[in-house]
Amino acid sequence: MKNKKTKLVVASGKGGVGKSMLTSALAMLFGRSQKIVAVDCDADAPNLGIWLGGIRKWDKTIPVVASARPEINYQKCDGCGLCAKKCNFSAIKMVKGKPKVNPFLCEGCGACEAICPKKAIKLKPVQNGEIKIKNTKYSFPLVSGQLYPGETGSGKVVDEIKVEAEKFDYNLMLVDSAPGTGCPVTAALRGANFVVLVTEPTPSGFSDLKRVLEVVNYFKIPWGAVINKWDINSKLSKKIENFTKTKFLGKISYDKNIFKAISNLTPILETNLKAKKEIKKIYGQTIKATKNYF
Amino acid sequence: MGNDQLKKNAITGGKGGTGKSTVAILFANQLVKERKKVFLVDCDVECPNDYLLLGQKIKKPTERIYAQFPKLIKKKCKKCGLCAKTCRSNAIFQAPGKYPVFIKDLCSACGACWIVCPYGAIKPKKEETGKIFVNKIKNNFWLVTGLTKAGLEETGPVVTKVKEFALDFAKKNKADYILFDTAPGIHCPVVSALIDCDTAFCVTEPTPMGAADLNLILDLCRKLKVPAKVILNQADLGDKRKIFPIIKKYKTKIEKEIPYSRKLVEAYSEGKLLDFNL
Repeated sequence: MKNKKTKLVVASGKGGVGKSMLTSALAMLFGRSQKIVAVDCDADAPNLGIWLGGIRKWDKTIPVVASARPEINYQKCDGCGLCAKKCNFSAIKMVKGKPKVNPFLCEGCGACEAICPKKAIKLKPVQNGEIKIKNTKYSFPLVSGQLYPGETGSGKVVDEIKVEAEKFDYNLMLVDSAPGTGCPVTAALRGANFVVLVTEPTPSGFSDLKRVLEVVNYFKIPWGAVINKWDINSKLSKKIENFTKTKFLGKISYDKNIFKAISNLTPILETNLKAKKEIKKIYGQTIKATKNYF
Repeated sequence: MGNDQLKKNAITGGKGGTGKSTVAILFANQLVKERKKVFLVDCDVECPNDYLLLGQKIKKPTERIYAQFPKLIKKKCKKCGLCAKTCRSNAIFQAPGKYPVFIKDLCSACGACWIVCPYGAIKPKKEETGKIFVNKIKNNFWLVTGLTKAGLEETGPVVTKVKEFALDFAKKNKADYILFDTAPGIHCPVVSALIDCDTAFCVTEPTPMGAADLNLILDLCRKLKVPAKVILNQADLGDKRKIFPIIKKYKTKIEKEIPYSRKLVEAYSEGKLLDFNL
């Protein structure tokens, strides 16, 4: 693993299954022996910093300008309506014979600018988020980011977060992905050497695991699976374990005390909860599973 | 005759796994018990789960959703590079002197490339991006589920189409309520689901993560001018005090507190939410 830049992504499909908790713990464990950089690629709802004890003051904030919005020159516009017709995101509507842009639906793609016969539309760059960097007390950097509410381009903010993280001298990049399978997730997964998929033994957890696997397999990324809260349904947990076969990395018990610990901003590895031991075991299994890929 | 009384509510939350779908289903079922006609719409098109929680299967789509992606007609292409320069998704790659290559994984299907091509060398090609399923749960209770094709980047437009379909369907059936269960997060698919709703119920949990993400979703609702109310799930776990300053900041209130319940967790995990009473 030495002298190589490898990327491990934690993803899940379903939200709230424990991605950030696991990423934070893995970062602290890997960070003891390697040069790591922890990256929060859930720019919609970034929580990795909280699981690392909470960040009061970031060292550095960098604006992200990765979106654009059309500006219409109504003096030039003759109200032909072509822009509204060609917008594939239903973001332009004709109001009283003039185009009106709904900024919340606009993707900033520039199709309207391209189609306008009167050259009345110009795309203007928009700051849609920011990147935040902190050298944590665990002696590794955390690169996080935030998509501004109401802006588009979640995936593009994630791309920028990764560009910034890449600037650090590291052996292992640990990436916490957003839930789902859309643009922020594919942006997090791009270039990954290994993915740890977190799930829970519920019909939703299992179904979403299969959904995100479709994307992971499409990118041909090797993966391993972790079942969180396994004991809320041990039968289904066993079924998921069997489904993941040799890719199974381990499981974590459900514990209401995790709620209490994180409410006091105590990272899971600094507690005496059962989950701590279980995660350490998962860490060991992850090292074994990634040996061939890293 | 249209139904002017149709109430459009969203169930959202920012953070994942706070109980959006659970609340959406319990809410819908409660309304049905009050003799209302209800359409529940699963707008978490990347990972829809409401059908599973209702013990349903989605097999035959009622409708398919399409978008148009670029296709190159090599004979007409003069390799001018305008398409690659115009594409803001970086989805067109062109090496000097070579034909442009369309990178599907990055394409948002916006159509700017075939609009700018001076030689008509790029043609839109219709491709399926999603499906819509309809399940009748019981009398006066329908479920509409949107599902994207795996790996699709831009899922917001799919949500918009699912909403249009469901709204039309609900109006034809003279429904009283339409409930949109959104994806987690605050980006395009969530925005598309929230737009034009009468009220958004934001489901959160009493943790620092729940508080941070509630702040974001309430900010989004305010920008979209959708009135928001808060539902605090697992209210007796963690620390509620984290939530209060945010509620105050956005001048809203906690509409309901749902205490932790092992029975509810089990009902959820067994797909038997309809038997559960709040």
